[in-house]
Amino acid sequence: MQLTSPEYFVLLALVFFAYWFARHTGKLAVAVILCANYFFYAKWHPIYLGIIPLAAACDFLIGRALGASKSSSGRRFLITLSILLNCGLILTSHYVPFLLDPFTAAHPGLAGLEWLLPLSLSFYAFQAMTYTIDIYRGDATPTTSLLSYLASVSFFPTIVAGPITRVATLIPQIENAGLTLSAEDGGRALFLIGLGLVKKLLIADYLGENLVNRVFDLPKLYSGTETLLGAYGYTFQLYYDFSGYTDIALGSALLLGIVLPANFNRPYAAINVADFWRRWHISLSNWLRDYLFFSLPGQRSRRRPYLNLFITFTLGGLWHGANWTFIIWGALHGTGLAVVRGLQAMRGKRKPKPGLWLRLVCIFVTFHFVVLTWVFFRSANVNTALDVLRQIDSGTVSFANVTPGFWMVLAIAVVAHYVPQSWYTASVNAFTRMPAPVQATALAALILGIRYVAATGSAPFIYSRF
Amino acid sequence: MPRKAALAILSFAVIVAAMQAPFVPARFRFTTMPYRKLVEFQPRALLLHPPVYEIVEPVYRPHEMSRNAVPGLSDPTGNLRHFYSALWRTEQRAPGAVTRVLHYGDSPTTADSVTADIRTLLHQQFGDAGHGFVLIAKPWAWYGHRGVDLKANGWHIQAATMGRAPDGFHGLGGVSFIGETGASSTITLPSGHTRMELQYLEQPDGGTAQLTSGDTDIGTLNTNGNAKTPRFADFPLPPGANTVTLRVTEGTARVFGWSFEKDHDGVVYSSLGLNGGQVEAVLWYFEPKQWTVELRHADPDLVVINYGTNESVYPDYVNKTYEHELRALVDRIRAALPTASLLIMSPMDRGMRDSNGDIVTPPVFPHLIAVQQKVAADTGCAFFNTFEMMGGAGTMAKWYSVQPRLVSADFMHPLPAGAAIVGRLVEEALVKGYAEYKAANHLGDSPVTAAESRAPSAPAPATKRTSAH
Repeated sequence: MQLTSPEYFVLLALVFFAYWFARHTGKLAVAVILCANYFFYAKWHPIYLGIIPLAAACDFLIGRALGASKSSSGRRFLITLSILLNCGLILTSHYVPFLLDPFTAAHPGLAGLEWLLPLSLSFYAFQAMTYTIDIYRGDATPTTSLLSYLASVSFFPTIVAGPITRVATLIPQIENAGLTLSAEDGGRALFLIGLGLVKKLLIADYLGENLVNRVFDLPKLYSGTETLLGAYGYTFQLYYDFSGYTDIALGSALLLGIVLPANFNRPYAAINVADFWRRWHISLSNWLRDYLFFSLPGQRSRRRPYLNLFITFTLGGLWHGANWTFIIWGALHGTGLAVVRGLQAMRGKRKPKPGLWLRLVCIFVTFHFVVLTWVFFRSANVNTALDVLRQIDSGTVSFANVTPGFWMVLAIAVVAHYVPQSWYTASVNAFTRMPAPVQATALAALILGIRYVAATGSAPFIYSRF
Repeated sequence: MPRKAALAILSFAVIVAAMQAPFVPARFRFTTMPYRKLVEFQPRALLLHPPVYEIVEPVYRPHEMSRNAVPGLSDPTGNLRHFYSALWRTEQRAPGAVTRVLHYGDSPTTADSVTADIRTLLHQQFGDAGHGFVLIAKPWAWYGHRGVDLKANGWHIQAATMGRAPDGFHGLGGVSFIGETGASSTITLPSGHTRMELQYLEQPDGGTAQLTSGDTDIGTLNTNGNAKTPRFADFPLPPGANTVTLRVTEGTARVFGWSFEKDHDGVVYSSLGLNGGQVEAVLWYFEPKQWTVELRHADPDLVVINYGTNESVYPDYVNKTYEHELRALVDRIRAALPTASLLIMSPMDRGMRDSNGDIVTPPVFPHLIAVQQKVAADTGCAFFNTFEMMGGAGTMAKWYSVQPRLVSADFMHPLPAGAAIVGRLVEEALVKGYAEYKAANHLGDSPVTAAESRAPSAPAPATKRTSAH
């Protein structure tokens, strides 16, 4: 079930009313969320109804044991067990089809063999690990309620592609019987859902369908300028696809009174790679920093952190898939972050605020570095990525395959990305002040507009496959 | 219960329900919400190894069924006999019996897509007599031949579809290359080729060029002459050579392409693609006399005319002018090559998004195919209905939705797996047609001399092109 599908919004509306009717009882409301979570998983495949409760129950018990254990070796054993369990889930859902591919390809009789995990369990596993690792480090205390834990760790708006939320921050919100939803927050939630649909269906899918997919399929068919536009187009397509998904997830959670962490903050306005990662997929970069980078040895040495940055982001790349393109993407970012760290270390404590022009140059350079890395991220293989780069380098000029519609949507995407935050806040405030029937009419008009303008079926969210 | 949010959601539900009412104009009406889908649990699983795409059997019209035994291939007048008799000689391993094919096409052919698969399959069955024609440099980044690497610099490139040569001299492949001193090209191709031919223009003040293979000098080319004349120079290749370099050493040289062959019988399948290629580009921008010289020199047993995708963008042109121009092109090739077989090969299906977002075949496509079929029937050419054989209208929509995809996101250019399917369809049709030809003429595995006596048309010449002319 995609977060843009009509069924999802019917489910969300049903959960909304059931949840708020049951809210004063506390546990019944938590049970509503748990049912919604498992219903959502079952829509992908009923096998998740066996895997997720079992894995979650294990982590719950490990968390309880970690809370009770005083022995450092026992605690190490328990946390290792939890990490192995969750990494096993990631590896199983991600890499088994890849590992079996040569075997099934060599045996035609196995051509119809299916792998039963169509939905990646990465985001579930990342969230589950925040719980046990936080308890292990003493940053959180284990919950006594299995129900609350099960409802939090597999919270349905975050299942497909995050944002990766610390379970320790979700549990108190889900357990809070006195939770309410203000009119402002309700309006904000509906606004976020509407905005997410616009980002995904009107901008991201349009850019993908009308140039990006074609360019990355057969780059040699397009001129240098068209290929460059394809790369720019993908840069904004990915942002609007993923941030559109995140907005719908945030809005869905907020309708239930639950606040999820922000995942994006105008990433293409970053002045360096480190700044980019403070603005892009924030929940993943925080997770990588808190649970992987800080766990690597040698943090206090002078040189080791540079290597750790490289290792962290290369592993982050590998997590996206067993393909050299993702590894190169991660390695480039790891290298970029190490270079920025090195430059900052050389500059020491002198940190004069950059002037406007220097800032613009930094944004321009960082943006193009990120575009370069996205070329690898998007390409089916390294040869295709190199073909894209060669085409851009060819300097051939033609815009024959770029339609006026693509120009217009790309321009809207760029402008909307860089508009001041105050404009966004003003829009949210204006929407939340509207009477409820007007809000509903605006959303209905939006749906009609999307249906009229988008004219394509919704493509799956790009990050749902990770 | 948060009242305002609840009221907004309920109001939205009421509006959506009202917008499904029959009195709402269709363009504003919401489709009925599929509530049942909410409680449908259809487990989805990943296929570990996606199955091979199943080719849909085409539907034939009854009048075609009666006279067309080979699916997709229509040859009521037996136009392919010349090609089949050449294949027969090749199959019988008659000394020097090489079957040559020229395949003119648009962008997929430019990348040797489909043609590479046909070439490979024919080589497997009848023997590999060489790669055939290759352009001097890449006029488009997309240009390329399977198994061939081409590096070039310093050429001024004039293609018949873009930046045309004012005199219309575009050689056999539709592209002219002008190089000043220092311009060079290096081609790398599988070893086993024993000779090559350089196709160039002799002209007043023409320059000279040097051909080398590694450190070995292959020969020198002097392009100076009294008048503009297409010329062909043969050069033997050193044993084991797989790289040849052409370098303009003095003045300005104008060249069109090079062709590579081996010293044994088999098939030479030359892929002659033009980006944006259309019938009108060949008809209007290939200088007729020069092209005739090129065609006669190539002396093919079969010429494939494989255009139509680019024409389908212009429905008015297809409706009013296309038939006339396609007929004129056939006449021109016939005049140049009176005995060669001629095959009009329809374009592959092409997709476009309609107003509902569905991938559909352009409405003009069936008409375009019908025009090609009619011209083929009227002019006695063979016709291969690629479009129908792929599955007809809507095939590219299916090819785009299967995993792994078979067509690129432009719903037009097949990805390698899709091209392989089309290549196999074409090759199978030709081979089946050939089998029928053999059966009809009682050509078993008897010696070539007996076969020749029964062959309905003159066999292809055993040896060709030994001197420049």
